[in-house]
Amino acid sequence: MAHADTTHAPPAHPPAHEEETTTGINHRKLLMWVFLGSDCLFFGSLIATYMVYRGQSIVGPYPRDIIDVPITTVSTFVLLMSSFTMVMGVAAARSGNQKRLIQWLVLTIILGGTFIGFQVYEFNLFRVEGLRYETNLFSSTFFTLTGFHGAHVTLGLFWLACLAIMAARNPAGRPSDLDVDIAGLYWHFVDIVWIVIFTLLYLIGGFDGPPEAGHAAVQGWNWVTGLIS
Amino acid sequence: MSTNPGQEAVLAQQEHAAHDEHAAHEDAGISQFFFGRVPEGVHGGLKQYSLLAIFLGIITLVEFLIIVPEGLQGSGVVIAPLVILSVIKFFCVVAFFMHLKFENPLLWQIFVAGLVLGLIVALSLVLLFGVFRPTPRAFSEPRIEPFEHHVEDAHAVIERPLPDELPPPANPADLAPAAPAGGAAAGASPGQTLFVGTAACASCHTIQGVAQGVLGPPLDGIASVAGNRISGYSAEEYIRESILEPDAYTAGSADGLSQDYQEGLMSATMAGIVLSDEDVEALVEFLLQLR
Ligand code: HEC
Repeated sequence: MAHADTTHAPPAHPPAHEEETTTGINHRKLLMWVFLGSDCLFFGSLIATYMVYRGQSIVGPYPRDIIDVPITTVSTFVLLMSSFTMVMGVAAARSGNQKRLIQWLVLTIILGGTFIGFQVYEFNLFRVEGLRYETNLFSSTFFTLTGFHGAHVTLGLFWLACLAIMAARNPAGRPSDLDVDIAGLYWHFVDIVWIVIFTLLYLIGGFDGPPEAGHAAVQGWNWVTGLIS
Repeated sequence: MSTNPGQEAVLAQQEHAAHDEHAAHEDAGISQFFFGRVPEGVHGGLKQYSLLAIFLGIITLVEFLIIVPEGLQGSGVVIAPLVILSVIKFFCVVAFFMHLKFENPLLWQIFVAGLVLGLIVALSLVLLFGVFRPTPRAFSEPRIEPFEHHVEDAHAVIERPLPDELPPPANPADLAPAAPAGGAAAGASPGQTLFVGTAACASCHTIQGVAQGVLGPPLDGIASVAGNRISGYSAEEYIRESILEPDAYTAGSADGLSQDYQEGLMSATMAGIVLSDEDVEALVEFLLQLR
């Protein structure tokens, strides 16, 4: 980061964040990456819990009765595009273009908000169709995982909104490009977590029914041991 | 950046120039941006990022198309391609949108450390509870200890006989002494102990004063009605079959019950529970008392 700005347009503001650090990496940025690393553990355990209880629910509705893959593909696409608008916002901040920055941030917020809208719609539909948090193993693990992800997105929306308001009200060099950069890291992380959730819960797990005699995990294990012996 | 109108034009010009220079710099390196070695701190622009966005969009579309054919939905064949595609997406976002490719390698190490730890945690959980034990229920249910009393042989694993190998109906009086010695509470028959304990029947069936499950029909008075369910079956035969082959006959409103019950529900759970011949007979004996 330290020499990134010097290769580009005249820095829009005194580079306050370019203080010396022992690692050569800005402390706030380092902190963000450490946090994202630890958040991998957080989501890792929630995803694993879902996978462990996958196909174990003895009462419906089961995923195959209720999961809507086409709609979620659209919302996945929307979230992906919000990553694109976010990275463009970061680029605008770096080149000191405050107006562009605001435009990209607002676009990102709209796309992220649309994603949350899809999720609210989905959760509500599930509730109406009889899938409540306590209905079965599927619903508990599903709502916990996707709910925490939705909370991350919502938090990100507030964060981006703060940046946009900051940029609109005080155009003289706030937020700094580092401020935007760090928010961007968080935003992209939320996107990659969804990439995993979409694949596992929707594309692969979205057609699960009640427990079968040969659980998928058992079949997988038999397959592995079959290969070895 | 100031908005002072006097400076605006100048700034815009500067910006424009800067942007051009920027773009030229990037133009040189579209392939370098994605594939080449680049100095720390390089960034992409509209071109690189929109290319990437289109690429990621296409991957998402392909992922969706993979599971459109009904035969492939939920099948094992699609797992590998889907996982590979999303791993590609994952690392594209990390490397380029989060520009980790152009950062101090320490950040890579920090993030990958978290990621690997997270994967290890997830893998261990899945292995422990999903793979080495066929199902969490199959693991825990044979180990359930009755609330009041410990059944000595609860851990004994005895194969359940196939229906045609069934022993002839035993005389309940002979069976009583064979029941787990330390198991029966004063007043509770071995069958009742099993019902609320190891056999887990109580989680689905209600018997006044014994159990309050709601997923299956209440069993109060089952001995009086069981003989009428299937013509040619005695109450005892019907109850035994209900336990060994829950799907052979699905009780419902046609039997005067308050609702139709779900077929396959009881059998799905029973598949994870091991009952010995003695257990089954004890349960039958217990249920036959419920007149
Ligand atoms: C997962 C829930 C569940 C468990 C556990 C369970 N049952 Fe059932 N049981 C049902 C359901 C649902 C039905 C009705 C559908 C059918 O007949 O398969 C039923 C039906 C029965 C019937 C026939 C009732 C009638 O009115 O015809 C008997 C007898 C019975 N169960 C006994 C048992 C015994 C004994 C156990 C323990 C070894 C047990 N059940 C465990 C869900 C369960």
